[in-house]
Amino acid sequence: MSPGFFLRTLLRESRGSRGRLTFFIACLAVGVSAVVAVAGLSASLDQGIRREARQLLAADLAIRGSQPIPPAVNGALAHVSGLQRTNLRETVTVATVSSRDGRPGPSQLVELKVVDGVYPFYGKLVLKPARPLHELLNARTTVVGSELLARLGRKVGDDILIGGQPFRVAGTVVSEPDRVSISFTLGPRAFLSGEGFARTSLEGQGSRVSYRALFKLPEGSTAAELNAAASAVKDILPVNENYRVETYRQAQPALRENLSRIERFLGLVALLSLFVGGIGVAQSVRAWLTGRLDSIAILKCLGMRPREIFPLYLGQTLLLGLAGSLVGIVAGAAVQLFLPRLFPDLIPAELINPWQPVALLRGLALGVGVALLFSLPPLSAVLRVPPARVLRRDAEPLPRHRWVASATILILGLGIWGMAALQSHSPRLGAEFTGGVALVTALLAGTALLVIWLVRRLPRDFASLWLRQGLAALARPGAAGTSAIVALGLGVLVVLGMSLVQQRLAAQLSAEMPSNAPSAFLVDIQPDQWPGVEKVLHDAGATGVESVPVVMARLSAIDGVKVEQLVERRERDRRWGLTREQRLTYMKELPKDNKIVEGKLWSDPDPSPAHAEVSLEKEFAEGIGARLGSTLSFDIQGVPLDLKVTSLRTVNWQTFGINFFLVVEPGVLESAPQQRLAVARLPKGGEQRAQDALAAGYPNVTMLRIREILEKVLKVLQRISLGIRFLGGFTVVAGIAILAGAISAGSSRRGREVALLKTLGMTRRGVAATFTAEYALIGLVAGGIGTAGATALAYGVITRGFQIPWQLDPLSLAVALGGTVVLAVVAGLAASYRALQRRPIEVLRTE
Amino acid sequence: MNLPRIELRQLTRKLPSGGRELTILDRVDLTFQAGEFAAVLGPSGSGKSTLLALMAGLDRPTSGEVIIDGTPIQAMSEDGLALLRRHKIGFVFQSFQLLGNLTARENVLLPIELLGQPDPVGRANELLAAVGLDDRGHHYPSQLSGGEQQRVALARAFAARPPILLADEPTGNLDGATGRKVLELLTELRRREGTTLVLVTHDPAVAALAGRRIHLLDGRVERDELPVPAVPAGSAVTGALV
Repeated sequence: MSPGFFLRTLLRESRGSRGRLTFFIACLAVGVSAVVAVAGLSASLDQGIRREARQLLAADLAIRGSQPIPPAVNGALAHVSGLQRTNLRETVTVATVSSRDGRPGPSQLVELKVVDGVYPFYGKLVLKPARPLHELLNARTTVVGSELLARLGRKVGDDILIGGQPFRVAGTVVSEPDRVSISFTLGPRAFLSGEGFARTSLEGQGSRVSYRALFKLPEGSTAAELNAAASAVKDILPVNENYRVETYRQAQPALRENLSRIERFLGLVALLSLFVGGIGVAQSVRAWLTGRLDSIAILKCLGMRPREIFPLYLGQTLLLGLAGSLVGIVAGAAVQLFLPRLFPDLIPAELINPWQPVALLRGLALGVGVALLFSLPPLSAVLRVPPARVLRRDAEPLPRHRWVASATILILGLGIWGMAALQSHSPRLGAEFTGGVALVTALLAGTALLVIWLVRRLPRDFASLWLRQGLAALARPGAAGTSAIVALGLGVLVVLGMSLVQQRLAAQLSAEMPSNAPSAFLVDIQPDQWPGVEKVLHDAGATGVESVPVVMARLSAIDGVKVEQLVERRERDRRWGLTREQRLTYMKELPKDNKIVEGKLWSDPDPSPAHAEVSLEKEFAEGIGARLGSTLSFDIQGVPLDLKVTSLRTVNWQTFGINFFLVVEPGVLESAPQQRLAVARLPKGGEQRAQDALAAGYPNVTMLRIREILEKVLKVLQRISLGIRFLGGFTVVAGIAILAGAISAGSSRRGREVALLKTLGMTRRGVAATFTAEYALIGLVAGGIGTAGATALAYGVITRGFQIPWQLDPLSLAVALGGTVVLAVVAGLAASYRALQRRPIEVLRTE
Repeated sequence: MNLPRIELRQLTRKLPSGGRELTILDRVDLTFQAGEFAAVLGPSGSGKSTLLALMAGLDRPTSGEVIIDGTPIQAMSEDGLALLRRHKIGFVFQSFQLLGNLTARENVLLPIELLGQPDPVGRANELLAAVGLDDRGHHYPSQLSGGEQQRVALARAFAARPPILLADEPTGNLDGATGRKVLELLTELRRREGTTLVLVTHDPAVAALAGRRIHLLDGRVERDELPVPAVPAGSAVTGALV
């Protein structure tokens, strides 16, 4: 067959089926629009970050670390003339106000940023009054977020206490270039100058301070010069200390990596709705082919080979796939424009640019791919159409080729996996997703078939006429219901499952914390402050107060191999365990939530310091590559110490108790420089009282409220959950489109039914009632299966993933079930509108 | 000696029916020469249509052989059978079997284009003119009457100049006058193209036009009335003679 003839025949064959395939296009377009919306949105954000990269870094080059930036950096950059440098230090501490009546004033956790030099080099730090930061800051002033002033009941010009020292508020922060609005924060911002920070002595008392040096290269510097400067710095920084060197040209690798992770996840949810659309595609193609069997037989009769007819129909699905994908692409672009209105605090409208060629191409590729893949199984029926059909309608189909079925399944599986791998950027995740979807779909389909089987065996005599008709329709062999039920059920599962998890988490957090869990962590307590701090806690009604000593140390070697060498053998993301600042504690007996799994605690009888022992958390030990019997060498602020691993243990972290990766036997660390860490359970009103009192008496002590932190975590989770439910909504829409498609495909049969029922004396309203019963039953079964699936999913996530007790939420389930029924009835009646309108004679005449 | 156009040897077709095997055709031996016009007669259920389907490779025999131009076809693949029909066999059916989404001209064009013959449009127009439908080429089958549809089917059947034409009750769905007109066209085209025509009918008046009449009953050849002018020498007509 010549290509020209093939194309002509293809176009001729497509006549007359175009209208019937509206549902094909609708099913596909819904999924494609979800895929395009996710990919386009993420590309827009990524572009925005790249465009604003300098502003987001506030510099050309930045070095970050948990240790002061070594002076050697200056030497490494000495060759760059005209280089400007600003030093930043950041820590979390408490701001408060001096009391007038002897009682402590209100206090608030703040994120402190200490600035030495010009800040920022790029981007805008918007302050009120509108003056440069270095003009407002001096040794006695601060600039703070306005919400801090509101919390403390002060205004610009008043004094507040930071680290126990008074600072006059010289202005407020409106916006910061390098503080991303969606990131997690512990409190409002407060700026101090270097001299001001020195007055607080926060740094000397072991507070966790992170260090950052910002550099501005001279105007007109090239990318090569920037990269040269960055590598010169990297060369002199010690590998075993976690310094990060970043240039604006890298455009926030960490932030973009986070975005990309969210994109991959949401991309898979979008892909799910495309796959559900694929079920609709398969169903449309099957219905379409049923009407083309005669044509196919004639073509075979005229001497067209099966291998020529198959591509003809595959070509048609390709054209339809293109059409559906294009509609989906337009819809996906529209969704992107609409999203900022829906989530104004989450997605800035000015960042959105729906013209993302890569995203649009991805939608096109996945849309066409799904159209071709999912139409393969029904299309393989083309091969089996008997040419003898031209003579005998009931001619038996040609024998099945052995390899066709297996090849179809293989191609379908590989195709789905390929798409999932493309969406998740990971072949493994793609495989897991494919397996999961296959399993869930098989379960849903199995349940749907079981329910239909049961309905078929159910006695119907008891039911009213409408219900009887509905049950009969559901039980009819080859009824359109199954795939619609599976698709709709899948949609309900995703949307409801996600909202059940989120609701349960929110409910758990708003309830009282479990009675045995602490509600506050206190860090940076100097050993001599502990009795006073403990008293403050007890005065505020604290129970369950516990405190342990903490010694900060660095790991220098394992079994004599230097950490520098170990680090070089590791992948970048697995170095952290080795190079982090290690927190050591010492105790005689382990807390209850620890369990020794290997070795024995403090089992070496030799008490000499040369045989000092350490107990490691098992996963941490695996992470750094230490075993039972390994010797870990530490550097404790200049003093070397060797510790032998004599036990490994597991820890139940969910109790929020104080736990350490490294526990040292007593008698070793007592005289080392140390602080204390404490936990306490405070009554609801006592938390603020304790914090205020601590801020007044022990300004270097930071109290972290677990409830507050969890609420912030929940907020992040809620945003992600919102995204998932939004995309899950596309799955529901696809399910509805499939139901409507199935009903519409059977519309001629339905028309005959209507005609017959009307002939028998049933009114139009009566016919509508029987249809309503049928669609309501479909919705009920789909909703029931989806609700059950969602409950099972949420139960698993809640009890296994979050390890919090399960609680059934009957209202949500009822709403989901009722909603599905209503949706199914509305969509079903809309799809059968034409059949309902037909007059009996029109239908019967054509019989 | 000329090879027979079609040779059927011990052709048997059985169909499963409600757990039993139904014998539709029972060891039929028949031979058709090039250019011959044979009518197959018999009551419904006698196996006429099945015989036609087997000759065209639309159906496969349970046993026996179908030999077209010396080549046995029963072992051919679906693709091979399709190519055989493309090159050698034209069809006319009782229910016309036009492709509903193609115009009359496109229906006629299809077999010509499949063969890749030159000037398909010219040939299609010529055939449409021959059946008197040159002005209806752009119409879809649904816009044509039954007789017109069957004339399009005739044009399509002859389009690729097949050496064999198989017709299954070509006038069965038409009224008398229309049927006669279609038959006239069929025999005229056959004569002009020199086609071997096997025509299935239960109408003795239609069968009377054929030189040879084969009567089927219960899947067996009951009677084979040879043409009055003698059979070309050496063509052994086997089969159950009365």
